[in-house]
Order: sequence, then structure tokens, then C-alpha cells
Amino acid sequence: MSEYSLISWMVFLPLAGGLALIFVGDSDEAGRRRVRLLSMAVSLAAFFVSAAVYVSFRENFAGMQFIERAEWIPRFGISYHVGLDGISLPLILLTTFLMPIAILFSWKDVEKRVRLYHMAFLFLETGMLGVFVALDFFLFYVFWEGMLIPMYMIIGVWGGANRIYAAIKFFLYTMAGSVLMLVAIMWLYFAAGLETFDILAYMEQPVQPWLQGWLFAAFALSFAIKVPVFPFHTWLPDAHVEAPTAGSVILAGVLLKMGTYGLMRLAMPLFPTAAREFAVFIMVLAVIGIIYGALVAMVQDDVKKLVAYSSVSHLGFVVLGLFSFNLLGASGSVLQMVNHGVSTGALFLLVGMIYSRRHTRMIADFGGIARVMPVFSVFFVIAALSSIGLPGLNGFVGEFTILAGVFNRSPAFAVAAASGVVLAAVYMLWMLQRVLFNGEPSGPNLGLRDLGAREWCVLIPMVALMFGLGLYPKPILSKIEPSARAWLQQVNRRVISVEAAPKIRALDLAARPRGEGRP
Amino acid sequence: MNPVIPVIPWVNLLPLIVVVVGAVTVLLWDTFFPSRDRSFIITLTLATLAGAGAATLLAVSAPSAGGAASLGGMYLFDRFTAFLFVLILLASFISSLIAGAQASLEEMPAGEYFSLILFATSGMMLMVATRNLLMVFIGLEILSLSLYVLAGYLRSRLEGNEAALKYFLLGAFASGFLLFGMAMIYGATGSVDLLEIAARLSANPPSRGPAFMLGMGFIVVGLGFKVAAVPFNMWTPDVYEGSPTAAAAFMSVGPKAAAFAAFFRIVLATGDFTGEKFTTVLWVLAVLTMTTGNAVAIWQSNIKRMLAYSSIAHAGYILVALVAMRGGGPLAAGGFLYYMLVYAFMNLGAFCVVVAAGAGGAGSSESPRIEDYAGMGFTRPALAAAMAIFMVSLAGLPPMGGFVAKFYVFASAIKAGYVWLAVVAVLNSVAAAYYYLRLVVVMYMHEPPEGGDRTDSPPVLGVGTYAFTALLLAVIGTLGLGIFPGAALEFAMRSPVLLN
Repeated sequence: MSEYSLISWMVFLPLAGGLALIFVGDSDEAGRRRVRLLSMAVSLAAFFVSAAVYVSFRENFAGMQFIERAEWIPRFGISYHVGLDGISLPLILLTTFLMPIAILFSWKDVEKRVRLYHMAFLFLETGMLGVFVALDFFLFYVFWEGMLIPMYMIIGVWGGANRIYAAIKFFLYTMAGSVLMLVAIMWLYFAAGLETFDILAYMEQPVQPWLQGWLFAAFALSFAIKVPVFPFHTWLPDAHVEAPTAGSVILAGVLLKMGTYGLMRLAMPLFPTAAREFAVFIMVLAVIGIIYGALVAMVQDDVKKLVAYSSVSHLGFVVLGLFSFNLLGASGSVLQMVNHGVSTGALFLLVGMIYSRRHTRMIADFGGIARVMPVFSVFFVIAALSSIGLPGLNGFVGEFTILAGVFNRSPAFAVAAASGVVLAAVYMLWMLQRVLFNGEPSGPNLGLRDLGAREWCVLIPMVALMFGLGLYPKPILSKIEPSARAWLQQVNRRVISVEAAPKIRALDLAARPRGEGRP
Repeated sequence: MNPVIPVIPWVNLLPLIVVVVGAVTVLLWDTFFPSRDRSFIITLTLATLAGAGAATLLAVSAPSAGGAASLGGMYLFDRFTAFLFVLILLASFISSLIAGAQASLEEMPAGEYFSLILFATSGMMLMVATRNLLMVFIGLEILSLSLYVLAGYLRSRLEGNEAALKYFLLGAFASGFLLFGMAMIYGATGSVDLLEIAARLSANPPSRGPAFMLGMGFIVVGLGFKVAAVPFNMWTPDVYEGSPTAAAAFMSVGPKAAAFAAFFRIVLATGDFTGEKFTTVLWVLAVLTMTTGNAVAIWQSNIKRMLAYSSIAHAGYILVALVAMRGGGPLAAGGFLYYMLVYAFMNLGAFCVVVAAGAGGAGSSESPRIEDYAGMGFTRPALAAAMAIFMVSLAGLPPMGGFVAKFYVFASAIKAGYVWLAVVAVLNSVAAAYYYLRLVVVMYMHEPPEGGDRTDSPPVLGVGTYAFTALLLAVIGTLGLGIFPGAALEFAMRSPVLLN
């Protein structure tokens, strides 16, 4: 299928759409409508292209598919090289699925600087999809960093009261992590002497253990900030709370997954020895994140902050699953990335809906909402239960698989992580009780309208996906599994001896071979 | 001994000749046919610079007989020189456009301003097209004397007078250092020709003694002043602030490129004999320069001062390439060339926005404050978008040229084994992102003064022809070098710094 360049169409359609928006005025209502319609059309088109990719995806094939390759900077062996496999496909679908929903939600939600807003979202989509399909370090980095600017604008221009602080914090945190990854990429390039930035070429190439340690640390730090893994999570509550609703949906739904995806695609398979050495350390951080995130979520008075902290907790599971080094953990993690995107995305949308009505998100300001907004409440309960991991909904499949995988590796970690599931039930249900059920609706809460048509349209696909993935995850799991299996082989390979790979030489550095000789 | 009649490499000299003839013509034209209308003078200047660029391309494609070096090593025209010629001419071209756009310069005689630009350009070209230390000095003086005048060109402005005087006094002092250093090297080796200096240093170990090292130290001080390396940077912010913005733009790119080119040639010639200590001096300078530049830039509220400190920080990044030169080889020199090329586009672009915004009423073009740009993203969307592109590029983020340039320079450091220096440099660029993005914050995240949202479609730029052309060139360069860096990078890599 690669002769149709499906991936390039998918990645660059939003970019082209965003550029086209320059020529659409937004000074009057008709213009704004045109901007929204065009953005919607473009994001839907990208979704259909990704659906075409899904349909023609070859199952039972572990390698990269839909590969496209063209020279870019031949001098350094940099090329435009894209492709996808069972690990990236679910995330790509998640991205193209959430984007039209985000745009549809913003239809009435955003009235200010409409053109720039949609340009930022479309550029962001190109950046996110690019990260998931890039098979060249340089290309990956360009998308990875380039995507920061639109997200920064989204938080900073359309965010809440403290938006500028949150935007800058988000930006600097992420950038600080990624520049170190950039240094690591260049170091790997010169140390390996392969004269190429092709990611796949490095998968076969053993790297000296002592160098692996440094490089893995740089990559992992960059991704850990993005995930975020405790203790690098402090940018997240700020960014989430200040971002406009659609921004939060994309931030939680897709951007955080770029961190776990990076760990999975780059950090672990490139430096398997170091990944195994760091595994326990990272798993401890993940478990701390799970429990800490849940505990902090429990005491929030702001619903949005609660959902934000729940992300720290949920993504801890994903990291834990990855570092359990077995099939259950790995495929569960990929699935959980998608699940979290759907359920947390839905929660942010719901919070946004109630915020646009009441202009407050404080739990204390609500109570008994179920009486006045029954439909809203049903959706809210479903989304919350999906986030908790109730059997029958999507969250359960992912978390259960991960926990099973972790248990295989270390029961202690599984037990500790499972307490996070219990805590999730506590903070979510408690919040539901206080917002939806406790007491009688009073004051301004009495006059709340229930959901409108647009809001139904936004929520129905999300809820459908929650049930779909929860009851019948096979269509997506069957695509994940072969790639997860291959990935596992990759991360479990051992560097037998460094001498077997004469191409790899250490650079003349102060930190001369420390760990040389270790397996 | 028969007198040797030197072979004059006319083709190779052509670019220089064109610029000098143009400079004299501009000066004389304005003397004999004075006019209120500057457009002819400006056109003549631009034509001269473009013609010199064409002559450079001609000279590269058809080199005259006798190889790169001619006139006894006084004149050296290789690909490295040619790349820098094009770069310097381009920077002068865009700077002249910016000067054309600057309203406050309209009151002043045009002929002098633009002939000074051309003379300064010829000085820079001399500096890069030689391996002879004395020629470097002569070129530097032609350049500096023109710059002193340009700095104080708006003579009724108090800050301008201060800038010119400060620049002149400190500059003269630095020139003294440089000349003294050259004299000591001459004393130690008996030559001012870098090729011969290298030969004598290698043949005669005693010549690498204290006099030579002291001479190198003085040269570092003299050139460090010109490129605004910390701690020789004190003049930069005041001079940038006091000079006409167009002149500050001019100072920020070409002279830096020329001084660095001389620096690269000197380090190439002497690098094998100066030892680790000298490299240590260079990396200490690099770290100090970028860190100080960025740390102080964060606190600036005047955009010109911010750009001044940012230019100091960028000098620090380029010093990284200089440090990497011994281990990084052509990668380091190529990185320097590519960096300067991108820097020319993005930095001149930023200055041009300052001038254009000032002409349109957002702040003054002479002392613009960051708050003056509040809401510019919505009152003047296209101009603000251009500024955002330049700022993002200066911060070194993809997909802008600034990213590829940094990638290239830092890669050369890693190749040479200075991984930690690359780490310091990238962390510095994170700090720098803070102040570059602050302008984006102000333009897009603060409300415009009178709530005057004007989002016409297609967005109007609202600037004159000169500024428009300059901005167009700068935006195309900044984006083009970021998205399609292949061809320019190849040229840069194929232009190694050589001595013969």
C-alpha cells in the first residue's frame, strides 16, 4: 500500500489545512464558521486516511509497514523515513480519532482568535502523528520538538487565568528533557559510526554497556518528563488545569502517550542492557507515581485537577507494564495508552461541559447535579467507571493485562500497583458522589441545561469506544501482539560481547569505559 | 634575485573590487548630486552588493590561475572565503534594506551611511580573504572605523553619541591588543603569514615559547572583543541600544562572521602547537559567553538590548565550533558557516521587525520595549508571525533553521569528544528559549493596548517595500534552511577552512 503514501497524506494533511487557514478570515461569524468547517473537514480526512491504514494493515506481521523513504540530508544520512507497526497504529488511530472530537467540542467553546486556534490544533496533529510514524532520529526529533510550539500557544493563548505560567513551565520542562535526548542521539550517531540517523539500523547494533547507561538515561529522562513519571510530573497539573478543554483532551489523550511511546520505541529497544539495569528503579518510580497520583487526586477540590492527577497515576501503570519485560505487560501497556486517552479525554470533555455552564470546577460548588442533568450524569459515570477500570469497560482490559504481566515479573510490584486501582475507585467515586448525587441542586445549579446536540455528538463516539474496547478488544489487540512480541525479543536481547561489534567504538571521553566487561 | 612580478588574480579579486568601486561611487554620487530622495542611493548600494555576490559566484566557478592563494598569501580565495563572501554580502544586503526602511535615518545624509556600509563590507571581505595577519588587521580597521561612525550616526541622539564613543574607545583598545599579539607572534616566529607561522612553529620548537603564547592570548582578547565574547562583551548592549537599529543589525552579523573566520584560520594554523591549555581557554570562553549572554538576556526589557545579549550567547555557541575544530574537522568549520548563514537570516529578520513595528507605531524603532509588542499577534498578525518565526529559530527549535544550525555545531562538539560542552550548550538553549518565547508570549498572550483586534484576511503586513523585501528574504531563509537544509549544508561541508 505504500505506493499511495498513506502515511504522508495522513501526517501532512493537517499541516496543509493549517496553512490554508491563513487565507480564511475570522473577523465575522461566517468566517469563523468557515475556519471551523475547514478544520473539521481536514481532521476528518486525516481520520479516514488512518482508517484506511487500519483496514489495510497486515496482521501477524511484526515489522514496519507502509514504509516511505526519501533522502533528506544525505550528508548525515538523514532521511524522511516513516512507517508504522502494531505499537504505533493504535496511537495513530487515537490521535486522529480525538482530533475531530476536540475540534467539534471547541465549536462553541472557543470564540476568540478562532483561526489561530485551529491552526495550532492542526499543526499539533501533524507533530503528534509525525512522532508516531518517524523512523529517523532527526525526523523524530523535529516532530517531537516542533509539536511543542502549537501546544504552548494553545495553553498560553486560550488557557485559564494562570495560563502563561503554565505554558512556559510546560515548554521549558519538556524542552530541557528533549535537548538532552538530542545530545544522546548525536552521541549515539558518532559512537556507532553508522553514518545514518535511521532508527531501525540502530536496533541491530549493540552499544557498549557503559555508553548505554548514559544514552538510556538521557532518552528516558526526556520521555519520563513527557509521561510524566514521578518526580517529573509537576508541569502536568498546571498545564492541564490551565489548558482549554480541547487542549487538555489532546494533552492527556495523546501528548502524554508520546512519552511512553518513546520509552517503548526508542529508549528500551535501543539500550536493552541499560533498560534492564534501570528497570527496578523506574518501576519503583512508576509505583510511587501510581500511589502518589491517586492520593493527591483524592484531596483535590478542583475536578480538572483531580483528573489531571489521575493521569499521573494511570500512566504509572503503562510504565510499569513496559518495564515488566513480558508480553502481557507490553501489550497491556499499549492498550492502556489508548484506553487512558479515551477515558481521560472523555472526563476532560465532561469537566469542560460543566465548566462552560457554571464557570467553576470546584467540587464544593456542585452537588445533586444528577437531578438537573441526568444525561450528563450518565456519561460522567460511564467515563469515570471506565477510568477506574470496571470490567466490561476499556480500562479494565488494559490494567488487568498490565497487572498480570507485572505479577509475572514481581508480585510485590503488582500488589503495590493494584492498590492504585483501589485508590482510583476511591477518588473517582467520591468525586462522583459529591458532584452528582450529594444533596439537592441549589442556586445556580438549578438552572443547568442538560447536554445539547453537539455535546451528544462529542460523547457518543467516546462512550462507544469505551464499550467496544472493553467488551471486544481483539481487533486492536491482535494488531498489537505481533509487534509487541517482536519488541520483547528486541529488549530481551543481550549484548554478548562488545568485541563482536567492531564498529562500535567509544569516543575519547573523560568517562572512559566504566562498565566494560559487564554482560 | 630577479624582481617577481606578481600575478594579479583579477577574477578572484573581482568581488572586492566591485564593492570598493560601489562604495566610492555612492559617496561621490551623493556629494555631486545631493537629493532628498534616498531611493537611488539605496538601489545603487543593493546593486553593488548583488553584483559582488554574482562576482563571487563567478570567481568560485572559474577560479583564476595560480590557485587559491595569491599576492604572496595576502589574498586567499578558496571555497571557505567564497561562502563567507556570500554570507557577508547577503547580511549587508538585508541590512541595507533595513536601513532603507528605517524612518529616523531619512533625516540624515544617505550617501555617507550607505558608503560606510559598503566600506565596512569591503573590510570584512578583506578579513576573511587572507592568511596574513596584517591584512586581517587592516580589514578589521576598515570595518571598525566604519562601524564607529555608523554607531553614532544619529548624532542628535544622546545614546548614539555614547555608543559611538564607547565603541570607539574600547574598540581602539582591543585593536591595540590584537596588533600587539600579532607583533609578538611575529617576534616569536618571524612571519605574519599563517602558513609560514605554522611551518616555523613545527620546524622550530623554541618558537612556541612564552612570547608566542602571550601573542595568542592577546589575539584572543582582540578577536574576542570583536565577536563579543564574555568577558570582552561590555560594549555590546550599549552600542546596540545606542546605534540606529539598522546599524545594530548590520553589526550583529557580518563583523562577527568576519572575526570568527579570522579566528578559525588562526586556530587552524596554530592549533597543533598551542596545546590543551589554549583549548581550555577557548572552551572556558565558550561556556562563559553563552551562559552570561543568556542569563543576562532574560532580564532585559528593551528588545535591542535583549538582542544584543542574545548575540553574545550566539557567539558562545559558535565558539563551541571553534573548540571542536581540532577534533571535529570539517564538521566544525562547516557548522560555523551554516550557523552564521542561518543567524544572518534570523537575526536580521528580528531587527527588521523591530524597525517595521516602530514605523507602524508599536514602540519606537530606536528603543523598543517588550511590552510595546503586546497583542501584536492580533493587531499585526503577519509581522508578529514573522517575529515568532525568528524567535523560535533563535531559540533553536525545529523546524526552523536555527535548529539545524545548532544541531550541526553541537554535533561537531560531540564528534570532537566534548559531549559535556554540548550538554552545557543545549541547556543554555533551554534558558534562551525562555526569553525568546517571552516576546511570543507578549505578542500572542497579552491583550493589545486598545483591544484593537484586526484579523483581516489575508493578513496585511503593513510595511514598506524595503522592509517587506528584507522580511521576505529572512523568513524564506530561516524556514528554508530549517526544512530543506541539504543543499546549503553540503556547500558548508565542502568549504573547509584552509591556508593554501
